[in-house]
Amino acid sequence: MIDTHEHEKKQFKRLFQQQGIDRFDSRLLVLEAFLKLEHHVTISDLVTQLEEDKVHLEKEFVLSSMELLFRFGFATRVEFEEKETQYEHRHLGLHHDHMVCTKCGMILEFRDEAIEKQQLKVAEAYGFHMLQHKMEIYGICSKCLEDRSPLVPLHRAKKGEKLIVKELEAGKNMQLRISSMGLKIGDPIEIVSSGFGGQVVIATGENRMVLGKGMAEKIMVQLFDPAIEKNRDTDKEAKDLHQEILLLSQMKSGQEGIVRKVSGEGVLRRRLLEMGINRGAAIYVEKYAPLKDPIEIVVKGYHMSLRVEEASNIIVENVGFKNRKNE
Amino acid sequence: MNKNLTLALSGNPNCGKTTIFNNLTGARQKVGNWPGVTVEKKEGKLKHNDYDLTIVDLPGTYSLTPFSIEEITARDFVINERPDIVVNIIDASSLERSLFLAIQILELGRPVIFVLNMADVAEAKGIQINGEKLSQLLGLPVVFTIGNKNKGTDHLVETAIDEIKRFDKGKESRPIKYSNKIETCISKVEAKLVESGVNMEGLPRWNAIKILEDDKVIKEKLQAMSASSAERVFQAARECRKRIQDLFEDDFEIVLTDDRYGVIAGIVKETVINLARKRIDMSRNIDLVLTDRVFGIPVFIFFIWAMFQLTFSLGAYPMGWIENAVSMLSMNLEKILPPSLLKDLMINGVMAGIGSVIVFLPNILILFFCIALFEDTGYMARAAFLMDRVMHTAGLHGKSFIPMLMGFGCNVPAIMAARTLESNKDRVLTILMTPFMSCSARLPVYIVLAGSFFADKAGTVIFGLYFMGIFIAIMSGRFLRRVLFKGEEAPFIMELPPYRMPMFKSLMIHMWDRSKMFLKKMGGVILVGSIIIWGLSNFPKQVSYSEDYDEKIHSVKSEYARKITSATTSQEIEAFNLQLAVILTEINHRQDQERIALSYIGRMGKVLEPFFAPIGIGWQASVALVSGFVAKEVVVSTMGVLYGVGNEGGEALEKALKKSGMTAISALSMMVFVLLYVPCFATVMTIYREASVGWAAFNLIYTTMVAWGMSFLVYRTGIMLGAG
Repeated sequence: MIDTHEHEKKQFKRLFQQQGIDRFDSRLLVLEAFLKLEHHVTISDLVTQLEEDKVHLEKEFVLSSMELLFRFGFATRVEFEEKETQYEHRHLGLHHDHMVCTKCGMILEFRDEAIEKQQLKVAEAYGFHMLQHKMEIYGICSKCLEDRSPLVPLHRAKKGEKLIVKELEAGKNMQLRISSMGLKIGDPIEIVSSGFGGQVVIATGENRMVLGKGMAEKIMVQLFDPAIEKNRDTDKEAKDLHQEILLLSQMKSGQEGIVRKVSGEGVLRRRLLEMGINRGAAIYVEKYAPLKDPIEIVVKGYHMSLRVEEASNIIVENVGFKNRKNE
Repeated sequence: MNKNLTLALSGNPNCGKTTIFNNLTGARQKVGNWPGVTVEKKEGKLKHNDYDLTIVDLPGTYSLTPFSIEEITARDFVINERPDIVVNIIDASSLERSLFLAIQILELGRPVIFVLNMADVAEAKGIQINGEKLSQLLGLPVVFTIGNKNKGTDHLVETAIDEIKRFDKGKESRPIKYSNKIETCISKVEAKLVESGVNMEGLPRWNAIKILEDDKVIKEKLQAMSASSAERVFQAARECRKRIQDLFEDDFEIVLTDDRYGVIAGIVKETVINLARKRIDMSRNIDLVLTDRVFGIPVFIFFIWAMFQLTFSLGAYPMGWIENAVSMLSMNLEKILPPSLLKDLMINGVMAGIGSVIVFLPNILILFFCIALFEDTGYMARAAFLMDRVMHTAGLHGKSFIPMLMGFGCNVPAIMAARTLESNKDRVLTILMTPFMSCSARLPVYIVLAGSFFADKAGTVIFGLYFMGIFIAIMSGRFLRRVLFKGEEAPFIMELPPYRMPMFKSLMIHMWDRSKMFLKKMGGVILVGSIIIWGLSNFPKQVSYSEDYDEKIHSVKSEYARKITSATTSQEIEAFNLQLAVILTEINHRQDQERIALSYIGRMGKVLEPFFAPIGIGWQASVALVSGFVAKEVVVSTMGVLYGVGNEGGEALEKALKKSGMTAISALSMMVFVLLYVPCFATVMTIYREASVGWAAFNLIYTTMVAWGMSFLVYRTGIMLGAG
């Protein structure tokens, strides 16, 4: 890489001097900063990098420099959906494709020879001479999958995606409206089109529905993919053994989780169940007493307290922080 | 139709049951204990049109499992007493949890109506309940009330009467349907039960469920009625339990609990509308301060301090008035009545007895007012939350803190305050620990002894004694928890109810109920006890004194009369008069001293002398300690009499004590004994009333043993260290 970068810089000096472009030294600094940053860079990223190198250049100047670099083939301009224009290094003769995570916006570069060859083959079969191609895969990156947030609001879903309705994060009225349209949790849907002012057209079975942006934002969907679905189940089991499962007594205040199991003997277990701590109940840890014992929790909409010792009989999963301020 | 109807009120704790009870019955209610148990029983009367209604307030519980006395009491009442209707009160803002008890009540098979209380609070929290739908789903009437505004009370009564009429005309309650597997089990066992022909109280279906749940109480009942058919029914139940165990890998009762919540979730889904409104949880905001990591405990200490001050400092004024009134009455009696044994009994037995009872009344009124305030606002649960960690080290419950602390004032109200503890074990243990808290009546003894023998260090010594009391209480708690209260500790699973504005009326009723109970129950016993103790210290009347005091007084008087007449100057007369007075007092003191020593109580003290000898306590002090059973303050006055200084106390007593050969270390030993030994008679009687005769007797023996042991340790260690 260093070699190619040095090579690029020599070429740059030659070309720019030939063309008699102004403020040559400053532009060289932009190039250097750009080469320092791997992957995809926006103009603001570059300005920050330059600032770090103690170089102060206006955004406009950086932009015009990048456009020049683009023109002379030092950089490629990439525009992903809904994103600021980004630049990446263009090393002549080298090509790669992109995967874009719709959740966190991470961009992954990859190159697969089989795909490259297949593209040439397909083009050839159609009597098409391929000059260049662009391939972008949209989806959810492995990290987001791991974070167990495969849920995206419907309006962020892409055309053609097959999804399952998982949650309706809507008020009572909106929920009623959605369900009266015939959409309910667990329904498989396909995105017919999206993006027209936030409107989403979806298909469930043989019905088409048009959802406004406001409504689409409230519907949480999950990618429907039998393979992923299956993987996740096994993944989940593996992970359960490690970290996701906590005892109630290990939870911190402000965390919420779902009861998975209530163990313990006799009266205690019965009492816990009777007070509403049964499997599937959501438990929110409100606080610990000043002397660290007992714990105050919220379950089924009321506050109760129990000793840490007793709380250690309750196994909780899906633990996460939740903001309940004034809820 | 019968015109005398019984309405039983059931519901979770804090669902507003008491408020509705008060609304229904007004002032016409009586409080007592359920037969055989110390769970408070409230009953009230109400006349509605031409019906005479008896309202019974069942203990507030979360379930009907037979794990606590409250639950068994509630259940037995509904099954055995067969009230005409059960009015189940539901806190509308926690419908889901409330329904858990409600459907169990429904299963008992008596007519039931549901009362959704505090619907206004629920709506403020964003919850709206469709009462009609709920009524339809469960097949019973549902009414709405707002207890603290007395709304819907009449409607409640009318609906209840209508429902009773409907049952008279043949309506039957609709059973809750569980999942198929459970239902199969229930019908199998139910069939066996019906087949056996045993006629148990309650619906066969309910009994079947209980047998399947392995309910010991019901199983024993069936066993007792018919052992052979019981075996057949149990066999079926065992098979079913095993099937469920194999299928769900869990006990039947756990699966059923899950299933109940399943049914409830269904009901809630159909009847509750969650208003998507941002709601502000006032309680939560209050708790941000009151149970805060930093402020929580200081605020709590302040509240407790205020309560203590109110009870014992403010209470001291009316106590003084009562004392004055009693002594005025005694003085008047003294004047009116001719001298006789009866007069002595009236004044020193009865009047003193009554005095010693009602003198506690101001304390008890104020203390129970404060406790009612804590309970009604919801702070009591927070106090337990804050203090549980501390109390748990002594094997006690967080709520034990308040009774224990009140013990520093007076053990009698403190032991009564232990009523706030739900678990019987916790309550008894708290009652047994409380007397180790050094009550205010023990302070005069410390002041005299520590003041006489430790001079400038008196403060430290007294502080040490208080601390020792706490330490012994904690150690005893741990010890008794391990030995006598073995087995599972009652879980500390407690609701932290939302804070509520207390209602003045309810506070008054609460306070008065408990005070009345004190006067009625304790009054009688303490009065009788006082008379007995009066008898013990005044009899036998005809003692054979070692010398004839009357004769002596007579001779001294005549001697001085002679001297005075033969005196020449007025100074001389005065001097003789003074001498005469001194001599007479001395003779009187000697007579008193001998009289007490020869009285039954004195003889008891003498008999006990060998018992007290190893801990360095002489016979006079022994007698004083025995008389201290009346009240701990009496120890000082008895010592005064026995050491021949009369009631003067103070410096005279101090000198007399030192002269009698009492040393610092034996004084310390005595103080330790006073701290720990048998609490006063009133306290023992309170323990008897609140726990049982057995526990009162246990307390007598246990405290004496501990006291003797500790005093022995202190005395012998002191001697060994050369302090003797």
